Amino acid sequence: MTTGREAGDTLRADQDTQQGQTSTEVREEAKSVEFTYRGIFQKTLAANLCKHVVMAARKRDWLGSTIQRYSDSPERNGIPAKQFAVIAPDTETLEGHMAKYEPNELDVITCLDDTMADGIESWAWYGRQPINVRLRQGGTLLVISNRSKEELLRVIPRKPWDWTLAILPGTPSLAGLWVYRDDGTDMRVLGAIAKSRPDIFGIEDIESVIRDDDSLGDDYVAALKSGHDEVVVHEIAAGEGAEDTYEPVKLPGYKEMREAIIVPAVEVGKKNPNYSSSSDRTMRPVVNFDTCIKCRQCWIDCPDECFDITDEELHPINYSYCTGCGICAQVCPVEDCIVMVNDLEFVEEGDKDMFPLYKENREAYQEWREEKVAKGRIQHHDYFNADTWAWAGGSQAENTPDRNDRAARNA
Amino acid sequence: MTMAPGRALKLDPIKSIKKAPEEEYYQSGHRTCQGCLSALPMRLMAKAAGPRTIVLGTTGCMYVANTTYMSTPWVVPWMHTQLGAAGSAAVGTSAGLKALMRKGKMKDEPINVIAFCGDGGGADMGLAAISAALTDVEYNLLIFLYDNESYANTDIQTSGQTPWGAVTTFSPPGKKHRIMQRRWKKNVPGMLAAGHPDTKYIASGTPAIPVDMMDKVRAALSAGGPTYMHVLDPCPKGWHYDPEHSTELGKLAIETGIYPLYEVKEGVCNYTGTTRQIAQGKRQRKPVREYLEKQGRFAHFKNQDFAYFQKKVDEMWEQWIIPGVVSFSYGGPINITGETAKIRNNNVERTNASWIGDRPGHAHEEFVDDGLAREWLDDNALGDPSAGN
Amino acid sequence: MTVEKQAGSPGNQTEKLMTGTQAVAQAVRLADVDVTAAYPIRPYDGVMQAVAKLIADGDLDAEYIVAEGEHSQFEICKHASAVGSRVFVGSSGVGWMYAMESLAVTPTLRLPVVAMIGNRALDDPGAFGVEHNDAMAVRDLGWQLFWVEDAQECFDATLMAYRVGEDSRVSFPVGLGVDGAFITHSQTLLKIPDQEMVDEFLPPYDLGDRLLHPDNPISIAPQANEDWVMEIRKQTDDAAHRVKDVIREAHADFRRIFGRGGGNPFFEEYMTEDADYVLFGMGSLGLPAKVMVRRLRDQGQKVGFVRLKWFRPFPDEELAEVLTRFKAVGIVDRDYSYGSPKQGGVLFTDLRAALYDSEVRPKLVNFIGGLGGRELTPEMMDDMADTTRRAAEGESVPTVRWIGVRE
Repeated sequence: MTTGREAGDTLRADQDTQQGQTSTEVREEAKSVEFTYRGIFQKTLAANLCKHVVMAARKRDWLGSTIQRYSDSPERNGIPAKQFAVIAPDTETLEGHMAKYEPNELDVITCLDDTMADGIESWAWYGRQPINVRLRQGGTLLVISNRSKEELLRVIPRKPWDWTLAILPGTPSLAGLWVYRDDGTDMRVLGAIAKSRPDIFGIEDIESVIRDDDSLGDDYVAALKSGHDEVVVHEIAAGEGAEDTYEPVKLPGYKEMREAIIVPAVEVGKKNPNYSSSSDRTMRPVVNFDTCIKCRQCWIDCPDECFDITDEELHPINYSYCTGCGICAQVCPVEDCIVMVNDLEFVEEGDKDMFPLYKENREAYQEWREEKVAKGRIQHHDYFNADTWAWAGGSQAENTPDRNDRAARNA
Repeated sequence: MTMAPGRALKLDPIKSIKKAPEEEYYQSGHRTCQGCLSALPMRLMAKAAGPRTIVLGTTGCMYVANTTYMSTPWVVPWMHTQLGAAGSAAVGTSAGLKALMRKGKMKDEPINVIAFCGDGGGADMGLAAISAALTDVEYNLLIFLYDNESYANTDIQTSGQTPWGAVTTFSPPGKKHRIMQRRWKKNVPGMLAAGHPDTKYIASGTPAIPVDMMDKVRAALSAGGPTYMHVLDPCPKGWHYDPEHSTELGKLAIETGIYPLYEVKEGVCNYTGTTRQIAQGKRQRKPVREYLEKQGRFAHFKNQDFAYFQKKVDEMWEQWIIPGVVSFSYGGPINITGETAKIRNNNVERTNASWIGDRPGHAHEEFVDDGLAREWLDDNALGDPSAGN
Repeated sequence: MTVEKQAGSPGNQTEKLMTGTQAVAQAVRLADVDVTAAYPIRPYDGVMQAVAKLIADGDLDAEYIVAEGEHSQFEICKHASAVGSRVFVGSSGVGWMYAMESLAVTPTLRLPVVAMIGNRALDDPGAFGVEHNDAMAVRDLGWQLFWVEDAQECFDATLMAYRVGEDSRVSFPVGLGVDGAFITHSQTLLKIPDQEMVDEFLPPYDLGDRLLHPDNPISIAPQANEDWVMEIRKQTDDAAHRVKDVIREAHADFRRIFGRGGGNPFFEEYMTEDADYVLFGMGSLGLPAKVMVRRLRDQGQKVGFVRLKWFRPFPDEELAEVLTRFKAVGIVDRDYSYGSPKQGGVLFTDLRAALYDSEVRPKLVNFIGGLGGRELTPEMMDDMADTTRRAAEGESVPTVRWIGVRE
């Protein structure tokens, strides 16, 4: 993280991109590709993607390097994280991008879960940053989503210049640390980048990389091609998109800070003012206060202290801090009293507390709740992605015999 | 008259969720994983302890993910300490308060002193310091170990609490070795209870059963002297399961008998909750497979691995002298007083000479010789069969 | 022995014969320390034995905890300090090293722990004699470090350590370097003041709004990253800049109340007024050095000796002012620093840096000697003086020489 570079700053001439020149124009300078992803759930996916960007660049005799953003580490489940691939035509150019935590500007930002499109808060003090905060003029934001351009632009802020929004139809591919979800998402994303940004690499470059790797077969090429064919690239004009309300952080100087590494405690009844965990969410709980039996199980089991206890003994949720873990929906003894709903259904509501609506107008609240559940209900998740597995640390498709047949594996 | 912090705030047991205090002393705004059941014990511990508490936090997930990037979720005063220093931080804090109160340099009042550590910092590196703290009967303190079964904060490495066979970044399965983590989890609360008979309270719990956990925290803080709690924390990142299943997996660990819930209170061990039902024969242990196969860290297990794991857990229940608590079996009778040894007898009256009086560590000053001690015999006399030994 | 003839009334002080460790224990008693933690290692632990006896006899009211290792020992004291207790702790050699993690964090937490280091060679081999590398290992971290010459200075420096360390402008831990055997285990005469005099010099320990207590809602030392660490270190740096002035103030008070302490808080000058060349060092080697000075002076040599007391903060300007008067300085390092510039000792390297900006610089020659407790004999002292003299006279001499090694 740096404090010098603020979103929307104009660049100095000696900085790593050329002022006024758009991303796709200049071929012979470095290109930076960002993968924004759900921490832990998509860690291996992001690493595979970064690696392939560099390997594809090698096919054009370029050099490259990948960066894991250090301040994300240790990654936590759901907390947005970033990895980068930087490619350059020669060593000297590449060196200009080394010894950094992240590139100053990105030619391509890839958002691997569209519920991050409404902004990401990766750590304290920086607030919720737009998904495209460091996009370079003329750059491309690629999002895996089944939503339309209009829906996404309700949450993605506008820029003062033109850029492109590429949408690759699909749902986020989520796994975990030990078992990789080898479902072809990586290849589809690479195909989509090749289609929308042939200046980064061409589809033939990736295909060549796949052919070089004995462990990757025809299904990978097929996934690559489907991503290439299915991505839709939209030109976004300057000023098109949501309002940009992001305020760059201002950190205190050492004379303002208290001595001896001391910060004030959280006040009684308040919450940590410097960090909000709401952008961890892919889904959020919606409560049917009418069927609630006031058992407080959700309240006591919430690891993020999100539930309140009202005078009526009901338990509304503080969405500024809810991480969308789903525990409350699991432990609630009343069926469908708490239902998890895709977080992008709540663009208008933001993190607003909906309990006042219930108190003021029960029927309106129930209508609202039923609509949300109907549109975006998330079923309970399985324990882990046991259906597909390949060792996360091993090669991408490390095949054990009977890869998908657990019974045969255990014979 | 002893001036000791935490001079037992005498916290009453909570007993039900409805009776749990509503105030939070550990609040929202921490950078923990979704579904983190190591964060929940922090919340419940602080809730049970209340505002007159000082918390010392060792390095680990509950440091880096909580007091993250110069912010904090703690309402009660909190201080960082080093990875292996939970025991020493607790002793130093408690001793510091005690001295100042006794010498009139600070208002004399009960103050809870709680030092928390993860399984890495506590059960591995800091075990010696915890052990020493548990012998320091003059200081009231609670050492609270949150066990997510790995060094989690450094992205999941094997600790002495990692279950046999589990995948971590130090134990990846590979072409040559499928099982890299071949150590069985050592039994820390049982070990500490067995080795520190003067400690008045040692317990094992889990945040998946929150009221039981909070009551144990209160019992520890009210007991007086140094105390220890160990809680099992399902960890969606390290164990690899979807976060919404955290509570369920915690319960399953207990229902399979893998992780027992108990407390050792003033010399008597009792199981609690589901573990008690298992011990009483009222409930069968679920097969360990039901628990293990729900976690990606065991995705590489074959039938033989499940079977091995099951056997170890069966042995723990069938052969240990106190299942889940004290691991060795008992070789034969002892006959000191002419009566048979009372090992499993609920009616054993337990006394501990170091607990009498109200000045911990000074009970010897109040000890009265009951005249039953044998006369000291020198070596020559001892060697003589006719000397009445 | 520091023989002082000072103006001003020395007040009510009792003469005693004590070892250095016992003298420190007396200062601990008069400072009304609240918590101490002990762990055995030679040669420092005589102080803990003495403190135990004081507590057992009711002469000191303090918590006495026997830790299970030095890491815990120092953590216990650090945390007791954080809740407002005045603490005392100590170690030697590899014991001090075992505490290293705790030693690193205590200064950045700005906790004024006072520690006695019974200087001892680092293993391997296991040897109990004096070397200074143990205490020197923390010199970059914010510890203030003072080296004593005898039992009187052991006592005096302990009181000074609390006074300087606890000053809210400073708030740093202070380490006292006490040469193993020569000072820890020999008894010398010293004057012990009464409680009233000590109370006048040493105010109570007060952490203000940094106190860890339920009435003061703070979190101490949250995790930080590259956005914060430079500022945190800069705060520590600012405090490090303030130490010298606080030392000067405290020293002036000390002289006024107790009637001793020397003219200069940072170092002692012995027969330097008209010297052509001087030797320079710390700790008990001051004694054979002064004997040598008197012996050579009798022979007509214009030689002197400068004994450094405060090693951190290093009195660079003050030393530059004094040492640039001489043609040569022979620095005696009772330590080593393999691979350093010129492979010289720590004092040599620091002093060279301190004098770099001076327009007129004396020749600097370095002697590595007395390691592992080897005595610095009159022959060795004469040898070092001779080399320094020849350097002063313009002769070419080796820059760094190990003294008294069997070939």
